[in-house]
Amino acid sequence: MSAPALDLLRTGIDPRTAAFLESCVRCNLCAESCHVHLADGDPASTPAAKVQQVARLYRRYHTWSGRVAPWLTGARDLDDAALDDLTDAAFGRCTMCGRCTLHCAVGLDPANVLGLARAMLAAAGRVPAGIQANVTAALETGNSMRIPAGEVRETIAWLEDDLRQSTGDPTVELPLDQPGRRLLYALNPREIKFFPLSIQAAGLIFHAAGESWTLTSADFDITNYAYFACDRGAQAAISRKVLDRAEALGVEALVVAECGHGYRSLRWEAPEVLRRAFPFEIVSFVELLDRYVAEGRLALDPSRNAERVTLHDPCNLVRSGGVIEPQRRVLARAASDFVEMTPNREHNYCCGGGGGMLAASEYAARRVATGRLKAEQIRRTGAKTVVTPCHNCIDQLLELNKHYGLGVEIRTLAEVVADALVPPAAPPG
Amino acid sequence: MTATAVVLLAALLVAAASLAAARRAIGSVRVPLFAAPRGSEAAGVRYAFTTAFLPRAKESAAGHLPTYVAGLAYHAGIFAALLWLAFTLTPLAPSRPLAIVLAALLALALGSGLALLAKRGSRVSLRAVSVPDDVIANLLVDATLAAGLAAALAPGAVPLFQLAGAALLLYAPLGKLRHMLFLVTSRRAWGRFYGRRGVRG
Repeated sequence: MSAPALDLLRTGIDPRTAAFLESCVRCNLCAESCHVHLADGDPASTPAAKVQQVARLYRRYHTWSGRVAPWLTGARDLDDAALDDLTDAAFGRCTMCGRCTLHCAVGLDPANVLGLARAMLAAAGRVPAGIQANVTAALETGNSMRIPAGEVRETIAWLEDDLRQSTGDPTVELPLDQPGRRLLYALNPREIKFFPLSIQAAGLIFHAAGESWTLTSADFDITNYAYFACDRGAQAAISRKVLDRAEALGVEALVVAECGHGYRSLRWEAPEVLRRAFPFEIVSFVELLDRYVAEGRLALDPSRNAERVTLHDPCNLVRSGGVIEPQRRVLARAASDFVEMTPNREHNYCCGGGGGMLAASEYAARRVATGRLKAEQIRRTGAKTVVTPCHNCIDQLLELNKHYGLGVEIRTLAEVVADALVPPAAPPG
Repeated sequence: MTATAVVLLAALLVAAASLAAARRAIGSVRVPLFAAPRGSEAAGVRYAFTTAFLPRAKESAAGHLPTYVAGLAYHAGIFAALLWLAFTLTPLAPSRPLAIVLAALLALALGSGLALLAKRGSRVSLRAVSVPDDVIANLLVDATLAAGLAAALAPGAVPLFQLAGAALLLYAPLGKLRHMLFLVTSRRAWGRFYGRRGVRG
């Protein structure tokens, strides 16, 4: 048994979460809204079953009947067995995608309740090692992949040089650590390590839009694995790094690169865990692209993306972030054959890799299995390209593509927009 | 005042005090928020208490329409029974036509309650999340509805109705029936979340 977890359970429950726990009547109508349950059919995977893992503990310590007659409501002690069950429910069977929240007939938030479970597990030191490693790295080095500032500078310099050569435009730039710029464009470290094309695409778009912007070599990381772990202290500390950097640079807006949880954790959660507002706008690159298109700052030729394209909606950006239509407006202008998945928008299914699941290797087989729904959604569209404004989803979709033999290309929105730019860049001389 | 009326009144006071204490224990759900809103909290709350109740708004309702309708009928009957229970503490009595309407409503609710209980017992996934409280709460509500139905048809059954109601009220603070107190809070928070983020409302 864990004393810190018990302390959190006894005294640290947010009133909103308590109201949700009290409101669940175990009707189980939420079952089919969960992609994990739809994929495995296991009664333990329904949102109601997962909520009950937390509710049983809540009743034991917060209700009279739970203390006196625990058998009545299934109340149980917080012991090691309960922590094991909680780990399986909160980390192993839930991606915190919130689809059950949207569809709960009563109107409670199972994802919020499972967040409490994760917070208790974080207090008990039971966060999956892969997630915790990312938290530790971000706290120690400023980013979850431990990329030193020198490597960032070298990579960006190389990307800039490559971009100038490929476009033939010596004025294209990937500005780094430039004070006095209007925007700070903050990255997912995976872009630097594995997906540099998305940084080049952003550079081309900013160039075409005539934007004043900069990257930063330190504290650039928009990801926040402590948000997945529901370790609020670490979450605040990690968010503070990039927000402080934006404040120090004096920018008008912090632009969050294409990353669902990065957007949610900075745009919606960071102000709450840090208990303050910020003197700059926090905006998704997706929203910025939409503004550029609406303002006529980007000339796009959709015929440059002639093959059928579909869109995967990242849960944290769309269902819990409210960025629903901008990516659609942009894609409709950047691709000539854009088709929706069914269901879509806030009703879309999680790819299966959310909630830190991609970093929790112990659940890898389950993660790929739960992605079956997404794979079927993609296949039904007949699309050759799947666009998703989230690097976490991209990783999962790449794996699903291979595992389920989808034969599609997975791309960011910026990459598709960059390909549609006309002219791509001014010719030299 | 009859002895059963006194029992009912005492049960009502105990239940109200217990539920009020439970509500006080969780504290205020309203905290200042710092993230700039994208949409309107008020619009989200309005949505939560209006169109979000329509089956087309929620996959869980649309995909389980008979259960959802049974749930609505069950709750409509419960509200009617509780209202009538309160009236039994006064000299007022329903007219014959009103008693017939009431009886029909309670009969429908009773049938719905029993059907929901049968469903809970017959589905593996429902049994997996069920505890004794689910059965006891349902049966106590069903007993109250049945007694109310009897009292609507035969006024001599009012004392039985009052005793069944008293048992229900005394049990209410102990288990899932507490949701009557927290559902509004929960649903308001749900609407506020989606409204503020511009997802709904």
